[in-house]
Amino acid sequence: MNFEAVIGLEIHVEMKTASKMFSSAPNSFSTQPNTQVALLDMAYPGTMPLVNKQAVINAIRVCHALHMDIDQLVRFDRKNYFYADLPKGFQITQQFHPIGSEGYLDVEGKDGKLKRIRIERLHMEEDTCKQLHFPDYSLLDYNRAGVPLVEIVSRPDIRDGTEAMHYVENIRNIVVYSLVSDGKMEEGSLRCDVNISLRPYGSDKFGTKVEIKNLNSLKNIEEAIDYEIKRQNALLLSGTPINQETRRFDEASKKTILMRVKTSAVDYKYFPEPNIVPIRLSDSFVEDAISSCPELYEQKKERYLSMGLSKTDAEIILSDLDSASYFEKAAKDAKSAKTVANFLIVEVNGYLNKNAVGLSEFPLPPEKLGEIASLQEDGYTHKQCVDIFNYLLNNDVPVEQARKSLGIEKQVEDLSLMLKAVTEILDANPQSVADFKAGKDRAKGFLIGQIMKQYKGKFNPASLNKMMEEELGKR
Amino acid sequence: MHILDLTILEIHQALVEKRITAKELVLESLRRAKENKDNAFEMITEEEALRQLSELGEVEEDNPLWGIPFCLKDNFSTKGMETTASSNVLNGYTPLYDATVYQKLREKKAILVGKTTLDELAMGGSGTTGHKGKTYNPWDSSHTRQVGGSSCGSAVAVSSGIVPFALGSDTGDSVRKPASLAGLVGMKPSWGRISRYGLFPFAPSLDHVAYFTRSAADSAILLSVLSGRDEHDATSSFKPVEDYPSYIGKPIAGMKIAVLNDVVNTISDKVVLDKFNKSLTELEKLGAKVDRVDFSPELLGAIYAAYMVISCAEATSNDANLDGIKFGPYLGGNTYQEVMSNARTAGFSELIKRRFVIGSFSLMAENQDVLFRRAQRLRAKIVERANQVFEEYDFIFAPAAPSIAPLFSGNSDRLSDEYLIADNHLALGNFGGFPSLTLPLGFEDGMPLGVNFTGRPFEEGKLLAMAEAFESVSGLSGLSVINRKGEKL
Repeated sequence: MNFEAVIGLEIHVEMKTASKMFSSAPNSFSTQPNTQVALLDMAYPGTMPLVNKQAVINAIRVCHALHMDIDQLVRFDRKNYFYADLPKGFQITQQFHPIGSEGYLDVEGKDGKLKRIRIERLHMEEDTCKQLHFPDYSLLDYNRAGVPLVEIVSRPDIRDGTEAMHYVENIRNIVVYSLVSDGKMEEGSLRCDVNISLRPYGSDKFGTKVEIKNLNSLKNIEEAIDYEIKRQNALLLSGTPINQETRRFDEASKKTILMRVKTSAVDYKYFPEPNIVPIRLSDSFVEDAISSCPELYEQKKERYLSMGLSKTDAEIILSDLDSASYFEKAAKDAKSAKTVANFLIVEVNGYLNKNAVGLSEFPLPPEKLGEIASLQEDGYTHKQCVDIFNYLLNNDVPVEQARKSLGIEKQVEDLSLMLKAVTEILDANPQSVADFKAGKDRAKGFLIGQIMKQYKGKFNPASLNKMMEEELGKR
Repeated sequence: MHILDLTILEIHQALVEKRITAKELVLESLRRAKENKDNAFEMITEEEALRQLSELGEVEEDNPLWGIPFCLKDNFSTKGMETTASSNVLNGYTPLYDATVYQKLREKKAILVGKTTLDELAMGGSGTTGHKGKTYNPWDSSHTRQVGGSSCGSAVAVSSGIVPFALGSDTGDSVRKPASLAGLVGMKPSWGRISRYGLFPFAPSLDHVAYFTRSAADSAILLSVLSGRDEHDATSSFKPVEDYPSYIGKPIAGMKIAVLNDVVNTISDKVVLDKFNKSLTELEKLGAKVDRVDFSPELLGAIYAAYMVISCAEATSNDANLDGIKFGPYLGGNTYQEVMSNARTAGFSELIKRRFVIGSFSLMAENQDVLFRRAQRLRAKIVERANQVFEEYDFIFAPAAPSIAPLFSGNSDRLSDEYLIADNHLALGNFGGFPSLTLPLGFEDGMPLGVNFTGRPFEEGKLLAMAEAFESVSGLSGLSVINRKGEKL
């Protein structure tokens, strides 16, 4: 690239509180339009906003995770504009005094190194209602009107699509693990707008900014930005000026497409919301909000690593809040967290994929998975444990009963038979013995494989490996 | 004279003593409402009143509001009853819920007989801009004089003897000024004392629920009923509700009164000045300490400008929901902008549009600092000065208006000090959220004159004690067009 990309992100997160930001209407998804609505959500004259306490607690938790300064005097402002989806004719937001300011997030860049992205502000606001447009008319669904949002605005510190993707991924992990939001981009509960401009390397001025909207997956963020950088780069090289415009990402063509050219900026005529007196948060309220925050993604990951899981396994389990929660319950009294993780990733996920269901519909309670994994630590073979696992999927009985029903007993190892088998195979494969002596470790694997094949899993792999090493050493 | 012309307390006594029944009382009230020719009503709520009458039960001796007819300004939300705020934009709008104050009054078994006219959306002080036209001052049968506004219909309903009390709203002086022009007690308590839930907003930082009565004692009774924290209004105060009637009759000896010299100096009406000055002497005789205080003519003279900017700015935002999509007439259009523009063009009067333009203009990014924020800073300065006065004095005291009710045909010089200061100083109470009460001073040419006391936030009790003492000075309590008693000043 000939130019440096300057990228800033605005992320809107829908909070999953019991009620809406300023009204008592339930904040829950409904397929029936206009059923989750209080008078305030439709701006009935004389109704007044009441601040949702849980929303404030949530905002504090996210601020803390993003290392932000928290303004303990909570104030709201009105953003005034006329639009069909805006019931009151204004949106209550925090323009002048956002609850969070000046934070950062360290994200992995293209080179694998951590990079610090500064965050300018985090504020609370309310969502607008949903519009459905038809050729001759539009429909309005007020279920979404008033849903609590936090908006997180980064500094223009991002330089490419990968950084942007990791930044959003980290924020999603924070809001999902703090139980602030379900963070589903595809359903719009986490929405990301990108501002992107190019400038010559070394310049401290900003180029003309283009906004990309409607990015509904992490992958799309990365691809849209990388495409947009190329597009602007080519334009600039050909001497074509960049237009200040809003574009969207087309998934089929992997291109950004012009939505509208921006004219002069809208004047939102912000002023302080007179119906909400400033709320002073006590130190203890803020501290409680933070200390009672559920364990976050990064903390969990570190803990899983210390429990003996590999980074990959930890990330697979943490890719989903339900799976993390299942894992923790299963591993609680299990003898090896790593074995539990293996079962979860291979056997449980296998079942879920095969049956196309989620963990909530998985028949085996996590405690039983923990017991099964512990059996393996006690000397039962993996295959035996899988048999018990499969049996329990269809039979709601204690693990011990399943083992007995299947007639599974711990194998007593016939060491003389094992020795006989090892001796035979070594005698029959002098070349492999020589290879092993010459430093080719693979030869040992080959020899063990031959025995396992011939004796069909009769021997415990660990014991067999040990004996093989001893016998090879003697030759 | 009918029992209906008395005060709430006197009517209550008559009900307890069975000198009259609630039904007779309410029917007389409805009859008078129907006969009224002053354009006081958006709607006479006869059906609702009769229904409530039928559920009334036995007289409650400890509940002075039992069976008492009253009116609401038509900007309070009433479930199932059309509420228009005297604006065409809300014609046909039927709310789905009751304002907290209406609910409280119903629980006390007071009986709503009518919803009264106002200046459109409560914006205005003349009682002439509602969609039903001019509202007339009942003290002037020739219909040449204003009753003031914006709570014009409620002022008429009480002063013409239809009801002994009526609710209004007060953003600049919308209850206290008409009270002065109609010979009534107009009470606007501290901001946050009474829940605003269900009051159509004009400018929430200045809006107050306020009300008209015929005596300070009645005002105290109502305040006890209407006050208190409301979970529907985040700005309502947690401060406990006091036993306000217990303040009635307390001596005022030792209370300190700051007479606003700057207001008095701009008034040219000799009758007003003479009666006002006499009242000061009488207050001193009762033991009050009365000083003439220079507040600051610059600050008082700037109240009106600051008020216009702040109130119009907030109003333009509050009424943005009246867009022809959810509320207001749907008149079609090819785009949502056209739908909104058509509805608002047809729904609002020119005066309202002018206020929206002023408000919108003062909020524009390039104007905010020199208009809206400047007005806010000015407001803070004025309140700061008032608080200085309150460090030494319990009350700020002045004539509530420069003279008697103006003629419809009259033209006041809007840049004169008399207009800017004497006719607009009451908004001081809204700027600071101070409790503020207007009550009759006397008469000039058969038309009432009024004075205003403004006190420290949440010191309504003391204010009511002073008001009641002043009634003994003026000799005017329980006043209505039918019941004009011997004035003293």
